Amino acid sequence: MPRVVKSREEFEGEVYESLVLVEGRDLPLLDGGERTEIGHERRRVDGTARVTGRARYTQDVYLPAMLFVRVLRSPYPRARVRRIDTKKAEALAGVRGVLHRFNAPKAAFRGEDTIFREEVRFVGDEVAAVAADDEDTAAEALRLIEVDYELLPHVVDLEEAIGDVAPRLETDGNVAEASTHKRGDVRKAMKEADAVVEATYRTSTQIHNSLETHGAVASWDGEVLTVFESTQHVFGVRQGLKMALKLPFSKIRVVCDYMGGGFGSKGGVGKYSIIASLFAMELGRPARCILTRDEENLAAGNRSATLQQIRIAGKGREITAIEHTSWANVGQGKWVANPTGPTNTLYDVANVSSKSYKVVTNAGALSAFRAPGYVEGTFALECAVDELAERLGIDPIALRRKHAGSPKDPLSGKRYSDKHLLECYRIGAEEIGWRRRRNGGMRGSAPHRHRGLGMATQIWGGGGGPPAYATVHLNPDGTVVLTAGTQDIGTGTRTVLAQICADELGVDLADVHVRIGDTENPYGPISAGSVTLASVGPAVRIAARDAREQLLGAAAGVLETPAGELRIDGGVVVSKGARTPLSEILGKVENNTVIGKGARHPNDPELSQRTFGAHFAEVEVDLRTGEITVEHIVAVHDIGRIVNPLTARSQVEGGVLQALGFALTEERFVDRATGRVMNGNLENYKVPTVKDVPTKITVKFVDRPDRRANNLGVKGLGEPPIIPTAAAIANAVANATGARIRHAPLTRARVLDALAVAEARS
Amino acid sequence: MPQVPSVNGAALRGPGPIDIALTVNGNAVSARVPPRRTLLDTLRESLGLTGSKRVCDEGTCGACTVIVDDRPVYSCMTLAVACEGKRVETIEGLAKDGELHPVQRAFVDADAFQCGFCTPGQIMSIVALLRATPAPSEADVRRAVAGNLCRCGAYPNIVAAGVSAGRRRK
Amino acid sequence: MNAFSYARPTALADALRRLRSGAVALAGGTDLLGLMKDGLVRPDTLVDLTGIEGLRGWSRERGKGLRIGALTPLIELEGNPQLGQLMPILREALRDAATVQLRTMGTVGGNLLQRNRCWYFRDEGTPCWLKGGTRCFAVDGENRYHAIIGARECVMVSPSDLVPALVAYDAEISLASSRGRRHMKLADLFVAPHGRERREHALRPGELITEIRIPEAALARKGTYQKAMDRKAWSFALVSVAAAARIERGVARDVRVVLGGIAPIPWRVAAAEKGLEGSELDEAACADAAERVLAGATPLRDNGYKLTLARELVRRALRSLVAA
Ligand SMILES: Cc1cc2nc3c(=O)[nH]c(=O)nc-3n(C[C@H](O)[C@H](O)[C@H](O)COP(=O)(O)OP(=O)(O)OC[C@H]3O[C@@H](n4cnc5c(N)ncnc54)[C@H](O)[C@@H]3O)c2cc1C
Ligand code: SF4
Ligand code: FES
Ligand code: FES
Repeated sequence: MPRVVKSREEFEGEVYESLVLVEGRDLPLLDGGERTEIGHERRRVDGTARVTGRARYTQDVYLPAMLFVRVLRSPYPRARVRRIDTKKAEALAGVRGVLHRFNAPKAAFRGEDTIFREEVRFVGDEVAAVAADDEDTAAEALRLIEVDYELLPHVVDLEEAIGDVAPRLETDGNVAEASTHKRGDVRKAMKEADAVVEATYRTSTQIHNSLETHGAVASWDGEVLTVFESTQHVFGVRQGLKMALKLPFSKIRVVCDYMGGGFGSKGGVGKYSIIASLFAMELGRPARCILTRDEENLAAGNRSATLQQIRIAGKGREITAIEHTSWANVGQGKWVANPTGPTNTLYDVANVSSKSYKVVTNAGALSAFRAPGYVEGTFALECAVDELAERLGIDPIALRRKHAGSPKDPLSGKRYSDKHLLECYRIGAEEIGWRRRRNGGMRGSAPHRHRGLGMATQIWGGGGGPPAYATVHLNPDGTVVLTAGTQDIGTGTRTVLAQICADELGVDLADVHVRIGDTENPYGPISAGSVTLASVGPAVRIAARDAREQLLGAAAGVLETPAGELRIDGGVVVSKGARTPLSEILGKVENNTVIGKGARHPNDPELSQRTFGAHFAEVEVDLRTGEITVEHIVAVHDIGRIVNPLTARSQVEGGVLQALGFALTEERFVDRATGRVMNGNLENYKVPTVKDVPTKITVKFVDRPDRRANNLGVKGLGEPPIIPTAAAIANAVANATGARIRHAPLTRARVLDALAVAEARS
Repeated sequence: MPQVPSVNGAALRGPGPIDIALTVNGNAVSARVPPRRTLLDTLRESLGLTGSKRVCDEGTCGACTVIVDDRPVYSCMTLAVACEGKRVETIEGLAKDGELHPVQRAFVDADAFQCGFCTPGQIMSIVALLRATPAPSEADVRRAVAGNLCRCGAYPNIVAAGVSAGRRRK
Repeated sequence: MNAFSYARPTALADALRRLRSGAVALAGGTDLLGLMKDGLVRPDTLVDLTGIEGLRGWSRERGKGLRIGALTPLIELEGNPQLGQLMPILREALRDAATVQLRTMGTVGGNLLQRNRCWYFRDEGTPCWLKGGTRCFAVDGENRYHAIIGARECVMVSPSDLVPALVAYDAEISLASSRGRRHMKLADLFVAPHGRERREHALRPGELITEIRIPEAALARKGTYQKAMDRKAWSFALVSVAAAARIERGVARDVRVVLGGIAPIPWRVAAAEKGLEGSELDEAACADAAERVLAGATPLRDNGYKLTLARELVRRALRSLVAA
């Protein structure tokens, strides 16, 4: 019997309480014994599909008679759309439909009731859409639409928007307080401190640039709307479509088979999905709306630029107080990722005061980007901690160690389910050779090149939780179909779920077929917040156990042996002295399907589930050209049990490399006068290339099951590895050169400026 | 240099759809497309070969890399009509009789992808490299895929896969 | 891209005839297709030059220097071992230019004639001065990649990696049109946009580049190419420097220093080169030359760093000519 229980989960830095439906009983923690699959390096089960071009991504869905949709976007950062003339566009051969604010049906979207605003608020805001027989025609038609805009004053820059002279974009101003935290007495601690570091840090806007752009292909058969969408959450898209189109769930199916990266930005329905659906329903032909790279960079989300002020105080060999104020440019976003999260929770410091402000501007909205807020906040916090260590004259790790060992979450007061952060420090220091670190850095490969070491810490959630469900079907030939409503965004979800299923059921990995990414499947959570494995994995294990028990029952009947004397191993039912393949047993029973079901059970509400880690960097800096070369990154993470060391290592390397872009090269530029994004492309928005990869990346895991987290002892790994890298690099650069660069990315211009300042000082 | 002016000259084709003949993965195929259609869109939309990905459509990412006359090119910056008479190879043509190409095998073994969207392009770049340099060094592989962005950051494994595919083929 | 007709002639004259009536030349297409996709060029007809016989490949005749056909793919200049012996700077300059794929597709002629990468220029929605508008948006806008020297109304920079290397070897080009042929110094092909000259190249309508020539005397030079990028591959130069000289008994003759990425044209200062004539390219002489090359530079809001970089790269390039 299903029952309703209270659940408390952390998601991307916030805690949520909810009612969830669960069934049956949870399994005890998977014991420490050796497994066939879990804990072993396994190639991806979908590897062949991905290397042969057979994997079907949303972009690859071409349906018969499909229309191509292109969107006309505002060329102005703020304007009123007074009139739209589509006559010429409609007259173009091959154009089948045009939608805009004067003819589109009302559609609820993120708190507004239309997808085409009267007042467009950023360059890239949707103004109209054209459906045509081919893409070139749709694009040509956009040029023929005439729009009468009334221009309004705008502001795109964070610091300008905070200032007094900027136009007010919201009735209550551009700046809104989003969250605050206070503990202890910061003012007193500052007064009594031996040293106080006060510094301003900045991080630039980072754009996801998933290689597959956002997009959807919609088809309507008069009854059911099927939407293929590149998404991290098929159920979230379904919810959004229901709201926008007022269709019941039973008439909406959302499918995401393979997807080409999301990194947080593909969390729910997009205007493109609604537009494609509207055309499909209106014109009776499938419609495809896939964003171009330019559009992706204007309108599909970004990591907010931040301005952060930190005052950090130390006395003796301890941190005594931290004050952290952050302003984040959310563009036209309606929420803010909290950069003060790490300050509030990472260190057990007695006196803390933090404030996070959301600043709206006439730029594209933020969206979650791999550890939103924490990447930006950790850069500031962990640079500041190093600056304080230097002022106090103590080793940066020694200073951190004082505050990093606490078993309790300083924010909620709850105990951590598990924590091995000090162990991460130990392993990382050993691997990077921290003993070599000297104040003033080390000599590099030439007299004008200096080397330095730096490190930084990471805290993040990733404990996952309900609701998440799975079913395991056994076919009469002994093959297995594992079904769940989750999606594989490149993290290897299919593979680890298959491993869990194979182990629990006692079948070969090759016999487990995984079906995900479809709202016809049992509900699965968003693949974000590093929750996928920790949410879905335990449900899969229960479903597989359920199937196994039913199977043993069947085997007992067929073999006429008590179920208690049977076990399944490698797809074979083993009884005393006999080995019978599953297929043989199931074959004896006519046309059967064994279905195992599993639900994720709630977390212990008295505990705080967190992931921890530390990154260490060794860099070499050319003092004359400002070029930074990252020689070595050591990444150590404490994320519970490792299910697949091969894919886990890939995940960490990928996080490190995305962080490297944030640290050194990635930065969106917006022209202030026109509000136009100057580098909304892959030429001038510089994501790392293969040649930017550090000479060496060492990945280490503490690899101890979190006994109190869930029945597998696993936690998430998607986001932790992008969090501390940038600060570790900046700290290493400061160690190498004496130049402290407080603005990520650390570009040539910033490095050369800081070097000039450092030289003038010495 | 030929100095004789030609009397008729080469035919002017288009701007509407024209019939073009191509050799793709060893097969003679034809498509009816306007001259402005790129090789990438022709492969994907007219020939149903969706393995090559469209990511930037302007020569800045490498996901559309295919091999034309044994050399790697960006199919998004190549007109289909300009490929008449040339040999085009795509990711779909690598595996033979259900056997993965050594580079494909090496990618799976080395876990050289995450989302897999850049993967067809990366593989084609390395296949082209191996034709000229059968046993490439790490530096050779890096040079070959420096024109193939991977946002997931699978680069270390891609380089490892390229080197091991070379070894394996020997 | 707009709809257009397409022809792929095999005879040069056929191509020239079409160009005379307004067709646009297509070589590797790596720049042209980008411009067309951005809506900046909307041709009625494209003439594909890659089928024309005799415009591809290179040859060397003793005493007559080196000739490179305009349709030669860049990858051939980079990869050919004999050329590597003859003029190693080509390989050095092209190694970090774009990517293997782009160098495979892109041709020498196309590289010389590629348009600038100013992001206001490439943005169809910005009606800047070079495109016939009233003002330059970069001067007061986002200008970290723009010119620090030699610019007038337009502060875009010369983007090519090949051009500085070729100019440092006194390259000349041959041009053909339906009216006939002419020759010029490669350096004279480039125009710093100003006044009524809202263009970057001195090519006349209907004209093709057929070949590039390096005089025999220049082949005796030692050369080097240095490029600074803001990531380690696939970036246009923030600053690049081609330096070349004949080193005779430890002193430099015929010194050339040509910079890319800092001015609207490949940047050369004759006085600085003369000042190095007969010098041993010691530290002081190189530092002094760097000052002279960059004298009068006026960085914009965001590109002051280019001056520091340029000084250092000039110094390094020159010093490396006399390094062991
Ligand atoms: C993402 C990217 C990065 C790049 N990075 C670099 C870099 O780092 N360094 C660098 O040097 N370059 C770089 N490039 C530029 C690239 O090298 C040039 O686009 C290429 O060399 C142009 O050659 P093409 O044959 O493709 O020219 P096309 O695109 O075919 O032609 C370019 C122009 O020249 C004209 N044209 C071509 N050939 C002739 C001829 N023989 N006579 C008259 N007119 C002609 C065409 O009409 C057109 O106007 C990059 C390009 C891209 C897209
Ligand atoms: S630099 Fe030249 S191309 Fe760029 S905006 Fe100014 S005028 Fe236009
Ligand atoms: S899609 Fe062709 S290079 Fe990006
Ligand atoms: S694997 Fe995702 S972009 Fe390379």
